Amino acid sequence: MATVAIPAAKWSWESPYPQVRTTNSLDADVQLVERCLSGQEAAWEDLVRLHTRRVYSICYRFTNSDPEAQDLTQDVFLRVFKNLRSFRAGEGLFIVWLTRLTRNLLIDHYRRTRMDRATESIEDQTSALEENTAAIARTDGMLAGREASELLQAALQKLSPELRETVILRDLEELEYREIAKILNVPEGTVKSRLNRGRAELAKALRRQKVRL
Amino acid sequence: MTCAEFEILLCDYVDGTLRAEEKTALESHLPGCAACKQLAEDVMGVTAFFERVPQAEPPAELMTRILHHAPRGPGAIAERLPSDPPRSWGKRIFGGIFQSWLQPRYVMGMAMTILSFSMLARFAHIEPRQLRASDLDPVKVWQGIDDHSHRVYDRAMKYYDNLRLVIEIQSRLQEWTNDPSQNGAAPGARTSERGSQK
Repeated sequence: MATVAIPAAKWSWESPYPQVRTTNSLDADVQLVERCLSGQEAAWEDLVRLHTRRVYSICYRFTNSDPEAQDLTQDVFLRVFKNLRSFRAGEGLFIVWLTRLTRNLLIDHYRRTRMDRATESIEDQTSALEENTAAIARTDGMLAGREASELLQAALQKLSPELRETVILRDLEELEYREIAKILNVPEGTVKSRLNRGRAELAKALRRQKVRL
Repeated sequence: MTCAEFEILLCDYVDGTLRAEEKTALESHLPGCAACKQLAEDVMGVTAFFERVPQAEPPAELMTRILHHAPRGPGAIAERLPSDPPRSWGKRIFGGIFQSWLQPRYVMGMAMTILSFSMLARFAHIEPRQLRASDLDPVKVWQGIDDHSHRVYDRAMKYYDNLRLVIEIQSRLQEWTNDPSQNGAAPGARTSERGSQK
């Protein structure tokens, strides 16, 4: 069978993900938690400052709403505050523990607001028509960061919660597969499978918005 | 390489963690399989798109809000640590069992129950101090209640009759006081009437 030559440049893939997370950041997390638990005043503030962006980002990408993401981030840290004692440094990373807590809260929120979204979906369908006609300018593939962010948000909302959370944790939060598997409580193979499907669906959703990938 | 194997390795390919021979095998699968090629293009296109997306930045006031809602800071976390002196075994066992019973609502409920039973016992003429097992016989308890209720009824009736008589006598005396012409003959007649009534 004759093989079709694929341009080498197209498939010479440079991974955008960091291969190994630095051990310094892990130690810093554990030390911060220990300082918090020993009652040091500044440690709690440092912990909040260090992880607010990550928690907010996950919440915002998942819910596509700034006020909801802010409220959920606040709830996450209140829960962290109450349950910090239950974190065991030997049983896993703090980031994994924190992300699992965030994810559980998001899923609870998703289930709670299911009815609200059912009524909103009709409005989405009408706005999608307008979106298709107004998006001709995006075909040049040179999107500004903010516009890219908005397009991604819209596309992420088309994904099922399982695929969405997997894509967010890997592609936006750059967690490792075994960490995501721990957070979602599924095997690593399932994480990779969901990731492939999620990315493929995301590509379709972005193309529908006239984004050239 | 099959399509299933391709899909398993695709994530590692995107991450750049595949061994050289696996990478070659995966790339040689692409030209002959349009579906896998499309999947690979989609996946890598999206991964490249993520590079253009800036991080979602939380508003500055969010951290203040979070810290404000946990105003006591880490001191509050430390307060809940098991740094308190350990409780004795007695407190652990009895504290755990009776703690829920010592809540005000349970204590109040218990007090009301005891009061109700004591009132019932008093009504049924059961003396707790001289209580025997035979006194708790349902027949005896019922007889006691029945007997007591009859006595109460009789007492009430007697009191009512006496009260009526007293009022009648008082009204007659009032009449005599107001009508001095009958003062001579009437008392005897009235006394005989009263005697016949009794």
